[in-house]
Amino acid sequence: METKTILVADDESHILNVVSLKLRNAGFRVVTARDGQEAFEMALAEKPDLLITDYHMPQLSGIELCQKLKQDPATSAIPAIMLTARGYQLEPSDTEQSGILRMLSKPFSPRQLLTTVNEVLELPQAA
Amino acid sequence: MGLRRIKSLLILMVALIAGGAVCFLPGATGWMSRWADPHTLTFTGGALCLLGAISGLLTVTVVRRNNRQLLDRLRQIALDGRFKYLEAGDGEFVPLAAAMNDLIDFAEKTVSDAAMKTKELEIQLKVATAERQHAEAIIYSISDAVLVTDPFDDLVLANESAARTFEFDLQRAGRLPIAQVLKDEKMIGLIREMRQSKSTNGRRIVEHQVKAGNGAAKTFKITLSCVSNQTDEPAGVVAVLHDMTKEKEVAEMKNDFVSNVSHELRTPLASIKAYVEMLIDGEAEDEQTKREFYEVIQNEANRLSRLIDNILNISRIESGLVKVNKGPQSLMVILKEALDVIAPQARQKQIELNEKLTPVFYQTLADKDMLYQAVLNLLSNAVKYTPEAGTITVETLVDEAKKKVITRISDTGVGIPPKDLPFVFDKFYRAEANNRMAKGTGLGLSLVKHIVETVHHGRIFVESHVGKGSTFGFELDLCE
Repeated sequence: METKTILVADDESHILNVVSLKLRNAGFRVVTARDGQEAFEMALAEKPDLLITDYHMPQLSGIELCQKLKQDPATSAIPAIMLTARGYQLEPSDTEQSGILRMLSKPFSPRQLLTTVNEVLELPQAA
Repeated sequence: MGLRRIKSLLILMVALIAGGAVCFLPGATGWMSRWADPHTLTFTGGALCLLGAISGLLTVTVVRRNNRQLLDRLRQIALDGRFKYLEAGDGEFVPLAAAMNDLIDFAEKTVSDAAMKTKELEIQLKVATAERQHAEAIIYSISDAVLVTDPFDDLVLANESAARTFEFDLQRAGRLPIAQVLKDEKMIGLIREMRQSKSTNGRRIVEHQVKAGNGAAKTFKITLSCVSNQTDEPAGVVAVLHDMTKEKEVAEMKNDFVSNVSHELRTPLASIKAYVEMLIDGEAEDEQTKREFYEVIQNEANRLSRLIDNILNISRIESGLVKVNKGPQSLMVILKEALDVIAPQARQKQIELNEKLTPVFYQTLADKDMLYQAVLNLLSNAVKYTPEAGTITVETLVDEAKKKVITRISDTGVGIPPKDLPFVFDKFYRAEANNRMAKGTGLGLSLVKHIVETVHHGRIFVESHVGKGSTFGFELDLCE
């Protein structure tokens, strides 16, 4: 089975490290970005199978990043999981315009994140 | 001379003249000639007539004199403007004087009653004026805007606050229709509706936004009530407008604050929870990774604890409940301790920490825990807003002459735009441009200012250039 690539974007290095380690241990290839703009460039270059992004980031917020990726035909198919420390609720419009399929609230469980990642990757649109 | 005497005089005069006339009657000499000859009769008649004339003259003189006296006294009363009883010394005017005196009594009583009534009315007027002024003073003194209208929707009373809110001239607005005074259609409509409802004991509370000429909008809570007159008929409307703009802002700030604080608490908590779970699940394979995880957990727990300290301290200082424990402290020792705590965060971003500290024997009268908190906040901000591989310099300068010590914490960070600089120490304020650079509650710098200025009576300052970096610092008194 082909190794799937996951792009993780978060300005909190601790979160970035722990998510990366969990996913690598689970057999994924992980690329990371420290802000929204870097994540966008990385997504264009790496064409990841999934994006895990923080909501509040410098340069581009998680929502802006996902909307930008959705608008670009080269990256519009990338599904996204959002991590947020704000009690933000996912609206249907977010899913339509941004490709965000799941939202996890911080503090989160890496175990649960991994389950969510597997779920999203198994969805027909992520295949 | 009395009236009776005048009467006697008049009778005497008539008798004398009559006697005299009889002497001259034709034929009188015939039947009188028995007692007197015609010459004597003529003489006697002439003498009697003369005496009669004299007594008549005397009567006229007396009457005229009494009249003059009476007139003089009446004139005197008129001149003096005071009532004086007429003297009844001259007997013949006693009844007249008494009658006049009764008249005077009556006039005097009428005038005095009128004066009493006037006084009473004056007092009533004064009381009413004082009451009105009192009511006006109350209305003028309250900060809420007040508008009072009559049954014809004319403005009867308004205060300064109302004039400011609706931008009209208070001096010229009296008794003008509200439609001419107020430009706010909604407000005019509210007053009219209230007046038309004629509910004499009802109140209506409405929230309404009033736009000023310069476009600034203020939110008011308007309480409208009908006032009634003595016969319980609606006499007009009172509108009291309470400015809720500030309250709304505070409510919004509180909301933002709760949202920011919960976000700030969740961030370190998220790391702690994730790393603990990774350790439990055995995801950290080697000892080196495990140690790194423990350090992350420890640092994030410290960050959480600092955040909670900030929140608690700021509310304690602001409410005046904080216990200040001042003693001679070496500022340099405090700075060293704070630098040790912040070093791991700086290392993580490859930020170089430079120290240019003066010797430890310089002391300042300070609450060690609070000053440590202030320094740590400034250092933590410097690390937050300095990009990777930047530099942070901490220096102290001692001014022996002025007995002052200045601490400067300079970074090579993003800097603060000039428009935001005057507000950086305000509670909850966050420079929009730097909001994306790092998360925060907008509490840290506000706490630093409180600690330096409120608790230590020092001076806080900031210098900043966008893209080059910022210097935050404070000046404290040295102690002997």
